[in-house]
Amino acid sequence: MRKLNLSVLVSVVMILISFSVNAQDANTILKKMDDVMYSPKDMVGKTKIVLIDKAGKEKTREANVTQKGNDKRIFRFTAPSSQAGIAVLSLPDDVMYMYMPAFGKERRISSSVKSQNFAGTDFSYDDMESKPYAEKYTPKLLPEQDGVYVLELTPMSPKSTYSKLIVKVHKTNYYPTTMEYFDRGKKKIKEAVYQFTKIENYWNAAEIKMTDLKKNHVTKMLMSNVKYDQGLSDDVFTVRKLKQ
Amino acid sequence: MNNLANGIIKFKWLIIIVVIGLTAFLGYQITNLKIDSDIISSLPDDDPAALLYKNIGKEFGGNDMGMIIIETDDVFKKEVIEYIKQITDTLRITEGVSTVTSLTNVLDIKGSVWGIEIGTLLDEYDLPDTKTELDSLKQRVFSKDMYKGTLVSEDTTSTLIMFTLLPDVDKQVVARTIKEKISELDIPAKLYFGGLPFMMNDIADLIVSDIIRLIPITFFLITLILFLAFRSTRGVVLPMLTAALSVIWVLGAIVLFGYELSMISNITPIILLAVGSAYTIHVINRINVTYDTDRKKALVKALTYIIIPVILAALTTMIGFVSFVFGAYLEIIRDFGVFTALGVIFALLLSIFFVPAVISALSMYKSAESIEKDKKNKRGFINDLILEPLNHLLNKHPKYTLSVWGIIMLISVGGIFFIQREVNMAEYFKKGNSTRITEDIMQDKFGGSQPVFVVFKGDIQSPAVLQMMIKTENYMKEFSAIDRTQSIADLVEEMNDVMGEGKQIPNNKAKIENLWFLLDGQDIMPQLVSDELDKAIIQSKFASTDSKLLSDFVVYMDDFVAKNSTEECQIEVTGMPSVYSQLDKSLINSQMSSLAIAIFMVLLIVGLVLRSPVKGLFAAIPIVATITILFGFMGATGIPLDIATVLVASVALGIGIDYSIHIITHFNHVYKETGKLDTAMEETIMISGKAIVINVFSVAAGFLVLIFSEMVPLKNFGILVAMSMIGSGLGALTLLPVILILHYRRQERLREMSNINTQKIKKHIELKSMVN
Repeated sequence: MRKLNLSVLVSVVMILISFSVNAQDANTILKKMDDVMYSPKDMVGKTKIVLIDKAGKEKTREANVTQKGNDKRIFRFTAPSSQAGIAVLSLPDDVMYMYMPAFGKERRISSSVKSQNFAGTDFSYDDMESKPYAEKYTPKLLPEQDGVYVLELTPMSPKSTYSKLIVKVHKTNYYPTTMEYFDRGKKKIKEAVYQFTKIENYWNAAEIKMTDLKKNHVTKMLMSNVKYDQGLSDDVFTVRKLKQ
Repeated sequence: MNNLANGIIKFKWLIIIVVIGLTAFLGYQITNLKIDSDIISSLPDDDPAALLYKNIGKEFGGNDMGMIIIETDDVFKKEVIEYIKQITDTLRITEGVSTVTSLTNVLDIKGSVWGIEIGTLLDEYDLPDTKTELDSLKQRVFSKDMYKGTLVSEDTTSTLIMFTLLPDVDKQVVARTIKEKISELDIPAKLYFGGLPFMMNDIADLIVSDIIRLIPITFFLITLILFLAFRSTRGVVLPMLTAALSVIWVLGAIVLFGYELSMISNITPIILLAVGSAYTIHVINRINVTYDTDRKKALVKALTYIIIPVILAALTTMIGFVSFVFGAYLEIIRDFGVFTALGVIFALLLSIFFVPAVISALSMYKSAESIEKDKKNKRGFINDLILEPLNHLLNKHPKYTLSVWGIIMLISVGGIFFIQREVNMAEYFKKGNSTRITEDIMQDKFGGSQPVFVVFKGDIQSPAVLQMMIKTENYMKEFSAIDRTQSIADLVEEMNDVMGEGKQIPNNKAKIENLWFLLDGQDIMPQLVSDELDKAIIQSKFASTDSKLLSDFVVYMDDFVAKNSTEECQIEVTGMPSVYSQLDKSLINSQMSSLAIAIFMVLLIVGLVLRSPVKGLFAAIPIVATITILFGFMGATGIPLDIATVLVASVALGIGIDYSIHIITHFNHVYKETGKLDTAMEETIMISGKAIVINVFSVAAGFLVLIFSEMVPLKNFGILVAMSMIGSGLGALTLLPVILILHYRRQERLREMSNINTQKIKKHIELKSMVN
């Protein structure tokens, strides 16, 4: 009898431990991923946004990107000429300003709808937000695959357009390799494929390819000329600077 | 012919095996029969307005737009807003749905002192629930043309949820899924489903229900009439078998050639059941009355005689159907004409090859006993009650009969001027049908549902093009049936306004390009402007179905386009008004050309076969009279000319001419043999007349079944064809005999006169010689 009780107890403990290890693992993995993605103090670089429609036709935009931490960022478009000079400043708490050179005016933009796509890309305002994933999602570890951990992320906010994300995280370097987005009908609607390269001490998302599976439309975001930790001051991220 | 007849008997088993094999093969094809209820795809590519409409619909997704209407006492209530969100969310995650627009997620551009808010009218996760919030929502909705009367009706009782479908999805399947999913939500308010995807789904359901309900009724009715007429199993089984086989073959052929069943061709089976049995009846009748030393010889003899007349009858009927191929506006009508004609060929081939083969193979000859019995009972109630008095009347009062026809014709000619035309699809559904109710609500509360598109080609981001779009919209709104319009130019104006520069199109392109940056990627953009920014459309709806107003609008817009379209900014107008206006014009052209072709071909063939143009003309008189009465009847009863009733005249001509041919050939035959007018006419009326009466009854009954059709044009088609059959039957039995009687009496009189003259001359000569 005692023996049996003991064995029951042992197995219960074992199960609990395995659960907690599991949960911890999921959280740790997600934290590590956040670290890889958001650890630089600041960053400057060029981005090339390639929009590919379902017929395979491409449209290209280029912008200079300046970022500090994970909540201050400026996109300053350089091409095509019709959009050159347009600049978008993102500040903490969803505050966004946009500068329109043809008007010589800036306007605050409220993107009350996070599911709206950012400037014709397949990235929604939600996807563009560089808030750590661990702050927005509850992770669950799924059986791992070739060289990657598989996490199922459930949004904490009921307002999210997604019902879940399936993220594959590189086992040794902890950067994401793919993210799959599921709508509230549990149907996969978007897929992002990441390619990371190491620049200085950081892993940089050199290419993100986002596919809207419903529209069959692809956006590629390519980074180049990336420099980290330039010691940018908060001054760079003001409305006054935006106009220059 | 004799060789052919011998060949048929010789190869009877081969024929039977081939027929069984073909039936199995084509019958199997039917399992893949699809229903095509896409009216838009049937619009002709050679009409520029229709082609543009199809292309615009494809390019900007307008043809695949569906809507759901919620009707309650007041839309601005917490729970109603909640229903809207439920439906919006359900649609959004339904497979095949591309975009959804409703009160809970519609794009809203707000300007304030501090900036621009581009977002949605409501925060879908914090819906208004207090009275203040709901009141302010109401105020906002009624302050913008984009919402007022578009998303919420002006009486605040109804709201609209619009969605577009992804390209290349099965619209009917998606529409059905949506209906199921929405009904599962169990929303305690009245819901209506509208727009082309639902309308197509409805039409497809109606087509299936028509086929399932009407074919068995038709089959049963015609079987019953044939049984009453012939009182023999063989006289019923073989005609119905050939008709049924020709139906199976034609439906199989439709699949085999890659076509689908449409809202017109779904009556092909009913037509074939009614018409296709006739050829077999002729063949069997001939076999029944042919006697010879041995049964086989008799069969060959009967076949040798009957093949030509049966081919002739089928040929004229086919001409009636084929005549649509040349004048029809809609492809579905052309296809209907071709496949029904093909069905007639099948019925013909079966009746001259298969029927004799079966009779010979299964020894289904009539027994000598029953032949004897037949001879005794030759006279039935049709002879006693109808034909005998008729014969009497014709002989006694030919001129009265002619006068009665003359008066009826005169009245009918008057009626022709009152014929109306109907092209509006909504009118094709019965009152009380859900599609029709939705159309009515759309018309009452949301400015109609018939799309109007004005297409602009040029540099859409140039101030000139956008300003022209605004000018066009203002011009359109001056027309009574246009309530509101929507375009990219409106959004640019609104954005410019929130930038603090007034509600107008900016006067330089750079500003427009800046504003565009914010609009890029919005759900609504692909519905308003092409990806290359070289094409944009004004979307509007036409709030009337009045034919006159529709064509007035087309002229009104053409005038504007002529004055304002330039190389840099090309303007074109399309939409349902343009298409309906073309369809309306085409109805008359189609009627005229198909009827002209049919009359010409029939006159030619009948004239050739009877070897006398005059007799060809005689044969055509009853049917032309019938068609005149038909048009008069349409004018008097208000049954309009539409895509189905436009077919009646040619169909009636093709089928009805057979009666005249039978009367004339029979009369000729006997008159030549006996030389007696009275005898010839009596025998013609008593024998051929009986066949005609039976045929009129069975064909008319077959078509009258269409009264139960769910689609108004098909119902009217049935009534009118049945009426025409009775008319042409009556014409062949009264008008034609009277003309023949009067014609031959005059000839006889002339002959008598010349006889008298010759006799006089003879006498004169005799007298002279005597004197001499």
